[in-house]
Amino acid sequence: MTGLIMKDSLVMRKTLKSYLLIMVLYAVLACLDVLNFGFIITFIQVMLMVLPITAFAYDEQAKWDRYAMSLPLGRSRVVGARYLFVLALALCTFSLGLFGTAFIHLLQQENLMEMLLTLMVSATIGLLIPAILLPLCYKLGAERARPYLYAIIFIPTIAIVLLAKAELLDFSALNRFETLPPSVVVGGAALLPLAGLVLLFVSYLISCRVVAGKEY
Amino acid sequence: MTNCIEIKGLCKSYGDFALNNIDLTLPGGSILGLIGENGAGKTTTIKCVLNLIRRDTGEITLLGYDNVREERLAKQDVGVVLDECFFHDTLRPRDVGSILAPAYQNWDQGLFRDYLSKFGLPEKKFIKEFSRGMKMKLSLSAALAHRPKLLILDEATAGLDPVIRDEILDEFLGFIQDEDHAILMSSHITSDLEKVADYIAYIHQGQVVLSDAKDNILDSYGRVGCTAAQLESIDPRDILRARKGTFGCEALVKDRSAFARKYPMLLVERTTLEDIMLFVGKGETK
Repeated sequence: MTGLIMKDSLVMRKTLKSYLLIMVLYAVLACLDVLNFGFIITFIQVMLMVLPITAFAYDEQAKWDRYAMSLPLGRSRVVGARYLFVLALALCTFSLGLFGTAFIHLLQQENLMEMLLTLMVSATIGLLIPAILLPLCYKLGAERARPYLYAIIFIPTIAIVLLAKAELLDFSALNRFETLPPSVVVGGAALLPLAGLVLLFVSYLISCRVVAGKEY
Repeated sequence: MTNCIEIKGLCKSYGDFALNNIDLTLPGGSILGLIGENGAGKTTTIKCVLNLIRRDTGEITLLGYDNVREERLAKQDVGVVLDECFFHDTLRPRDVGSILAPAYQNWDQGLFRDYLSKFGLPEKKFIKEFSRGMKMKLSLSAALAHRPKLLILDEATAGLDPVIRDEILDEFLGFIQDEDHAILMSSHITSDLEKVADYIAYIHQGQVVLSDAKDNILDSYGRVGCTAAQLESIDPRDILRARKGTFGCEALVKDRSAFARKYPMLLVERTTLEDIMLFVGKGETK
């Protein structure tokens, strides 16, 4: 299984390198207070969401799956390797985000709680979207699953914007968080990525089921 | 000794095409060549053996292990080369070694490097810069580096020039010098199989129509060239298939010596696997 995780990293080494470069650039911009930290974290998460679908596209191009299924691993391990790759990416981003949060807080004395909340929410989104997308990729293939990626990102965003404009959403409820102790807010927010992890595991089980029924 | 592959009563239906009751056995120390027209069922059979597709009925064992229930054990000593190179263009041969090493208990990185060097494959060159021959040699190196006991090859030599094919066939002959080793290889290039195979199985329209030792087939089967009138005079029980052309007729006979004794006026020659394929694919029963 480690070999397959390594395969994903090696196949996408150029992409990962360029992403790393962008992250460093954005980190510098955040330190210089040119860009908002929350924007950067969310942007990086969105970039990473595209990576699993890119991995599927590369595999389809090489017809890798047929070969992978002929290895002595079993189908669930082949699927597991892809999920672990996604998890490793999410962990890297989260760690970088955590490091960035601490650094910027020390440098600019920005609101730590707000930055941590942003990080937790973006990390959850970073887990939630692959959780929905990966079973679709296994079922439909990368190209046919790609429109769903845009749908997953844009439909909720547009819906929230429209509901807010129509004044159907009450954002004043968020102000109540300010009355809560910071430890309660951050502790509660930390549950969000955990829920994301649970969803990713459920998604893995669904993908295993999809792959078990496939012929290569 | 356990057979390296045993296929019993394999059936797989796709609606418009079906593998029907395939029985094949591959003993150790030998090469079984699978021949047949495009779409006859060779690749489907190999996919069933590798559990890439689900069989409807039948049993398959690889090195004594059930290929579905004990898939991981069964495949641990199997090397696979399929009709294409499945490694991504952006990988290098040394990356392939790193990817496959954790998958096999017996992976030998030194042996993998030896094969790369033997086949003249640069470790650091990207696969996208490789020719088809180089890609197939890389696939073969990857299939051999964990010291498998069984090689499964699906059209592995297709599209390669005679020099590279000969080099790869030599490797196969070296591989089966060990009595525990065996190769199942499907190929359209019947001359390759005539060179290296010990057994031949001919799949036609999803059924095994001929399965025997290659030497038995080539020593026994014969091709008769004759006129239409002479063909009419032959007892239908003495010929398997016949082909009628503008300039004459020809027939396939199962026992060349017996036929020559019975019909001394007719010339019966040795036949080739390609002739047999043409007779079965395009000929008719008399």
